[in-house]
Amino acid sequence: MLTIRRLVTRFFIFNIAVGILAACSPAKDTSNSSADADGFTVALLTPGPISDQSWNGGAYEGLLRIRDSLGARVSHIQTKTPAEFEENFRQYGASGYSLVFGHGFEFQDAAARVGPAFPKTVFITTGGTRTSANVAAMSFAFEQPSYLAGIIAASVSKSGIIGCIGGTELPPVKSGFAAFTQGVHALNPKARVVTAYLGNWDDAGAGKEQALAQIARGVDVIYQNADAAGLGIFQAAKESQGVHIIGSNSDQNHVAPTVTLGSVVINLPNAFMSIAREVKSGAFIPRVHVFDTRSGVMKWVLNSSMKTVVPPRVLQMVDSVEHHMLDGTFVPPWPARIPEDE
Amino acid sequence: MSIDAGEFLQASVRTATPLAFAAYGELVAERSGVINLGLEGAMIAGAFGALVGAGAGGVGAGFAAAALAGCAAAAVMALVVLWLRADAVIAGTAVTLLALGLTGTLYRALYGAQGAALSVPTIAPAAVPGLSHLPLIGRALFEQPMMTYLLYVVAALLGWWMARTHAGLALRATGERPVAAFAAGISPVRVRAWALLFGGAMGGLAGGVLVLAQVGTFAEGMSAGRGFIAIAIVVLGRWSALGVAGAALLFGAASQLQYVFQSLGWPVPYQLFLALPYVLTLLVLAGTQRRAAAPAALGTALTEDAR
Repeated sequence: MLTIRRLVTRFFIFNIAVGILAACSPAKDTSNSSADADGFTVALLTPGPISDQSWNGGAYEGLLRIRDSLGARVSHIQTKTPAEFEENFRQYGASGYSLVFGHGFEFQDAAARVGPAFPKTVFITTGGTRTSANVAAMSFAFEQPSYLAGIIAASVSKSGIIGCIGGTELPPVKSGFAAFTQGVHALNPKARVVTAYLGNWDDAGAGKEQALAQIARGVDVIYQNADAAGLGIFQAAKESQGVHIIGSNSDQNHVAPTVTLGSVVINLPNAFMSIAREVKSGAFIPRVHVFDTRSGVMKWVLNSSMKTVVPPRVLQMVDSVEHHMLDGTFVPPWPARIPEDE
Repeated sequence: MSIDAGEFLQASVRTATPLAFAAYGELVAERSGVINLGLEGAMIAGAFGALVGAGAGGVGAGFAAAALAGCAAAAVMALVVLWLRADAVIAGTAVTLLALGLTGTLYRALYGAQGAALSVPTIAPAAVPGLSHLPLIGRALFEQPMMTYLLYVVAALLGWWMARTHAGLALRATGERPVAAFAAGISPVRVRAWALLFGGAMGGLAGGVLVLAQVGTFAEGMSAGRGFIAIAIVVLGRWSALGVAGAALLFGAASQLQYVFQSLGWPVPYQLFLALPYVLTLLVLAGTQRRAAAPAALGTALTEDAR
């Protein structure tokens, strides 16, 4: 039997619950979402938490840099399922945002569908190949720094067995691993490279267990590209003897300085800034913006405390290869680039 | 490239430990008649509680905070389901979603966008002298973190308590025929509330094990479906204490097999390996299908004549 008291309490609790949910939904944590027509407004959708110190963290840093340097009003949403990509793009388009980033190649279909409905908004996906009047993509040449990382990995590995661990098998992740493998074989043609995927980007426990399984098979250097789940991979190395990790996406050398050889860094803030500047000045041209080592966005960053671990001649070799990559005189025989529009 | 059986079993028990903690919590809740889909929420709340607690007062405080956080998630569940009489499936889903969102937001508020990195103290495995040298199963069972030994004790006590004590009988009676239990002077509401709180605490400890005995950090959403797997483990274990242990071990071993297969570098699509634990579980479930052992009143709300 429903008494008045129970009805009142139920109503009260319902309101509290709605309040809590509204307060802690990951959306709109930086500014109010109603954008005024004149201001420069920028939004970011990330597929994972911005606390991953990797792919999503770097993008969020880029968003904040746009806010601070270009005086933009910014907003961020962490998407949960692909079904939400389009809905979130529409929300920002309908609120008149100037620029919306979908952070990952998986956003490109949604961007292509939503773009025509909101011609005043520029939609950019990080990764992907789709372009139209107001839709464009950023593409990162993961291959270049991954190749350098492979040379370093081969020089440090004693067992000659090297591991790659990724979140899911996205094309940019795969191309990075392929170029890494080439780098490994450039220095040690007999080395073996084993690759594993976790199936997600959050399960740090699975990251650790997969790393331990590789280590038990003799792997002593692991190139990880698993975002938040990758934290478990660093932990596995910390608990094992003589195992080193190569980080990716952001400079992860500080995550576990004693085991990290270096990081394949995308300077996401720089890439985001260069797009935002173009859009703000009105000079935006829809195209696939390719960022590589020559644009200063992709970079191999050695962990300075590992200078004694890597043989000096290998450090020189890496410097020289990088130099030739920069002036365009060295183009390693990458495996054919994995198409990103599948 | 050889596979050491002792090491494999040790890793299997390690993987099974958080699953078993959560599953024993769910076992008690389900024996009282409530399906707690908020278990995943309790686990992520526990993981976050462990991070905060361990940062403030070391590993012990971390586990205490993990249990409390799991309890808090379950308290919401108990309040909504038992007192406000909401549907348990919807309420449990809501609790899980709420906990996933709330922990993410609190994590960013407390630790900033940079996160806590790998700063959390962890407990290392402690070998039991003598026993850990047994062939094959020695390291698997007796070279584990302290929490795993605690789990053995809890599992054994729980099996005895449910079968042999008056309170255990009250729990089972509530799960089978709440009306009869009520007629016998038992308060089904109270029994289910305590069962949910215990389940939440165990789910919270499961999250604590993930953070403090395994990964050494918190990541948003790191429970990654383990709460739901634990619910499946209870079904697979036919709602018995021993069955749950077996099912948890099976799932732990299947997960480890997946990791090992991938680390061998065979040219097989990795999705097949990722599906392996689930396929194996389904096969076992289908293969052991005997008479239903579910509590008769499982998933049914308490009627007026039982409160």
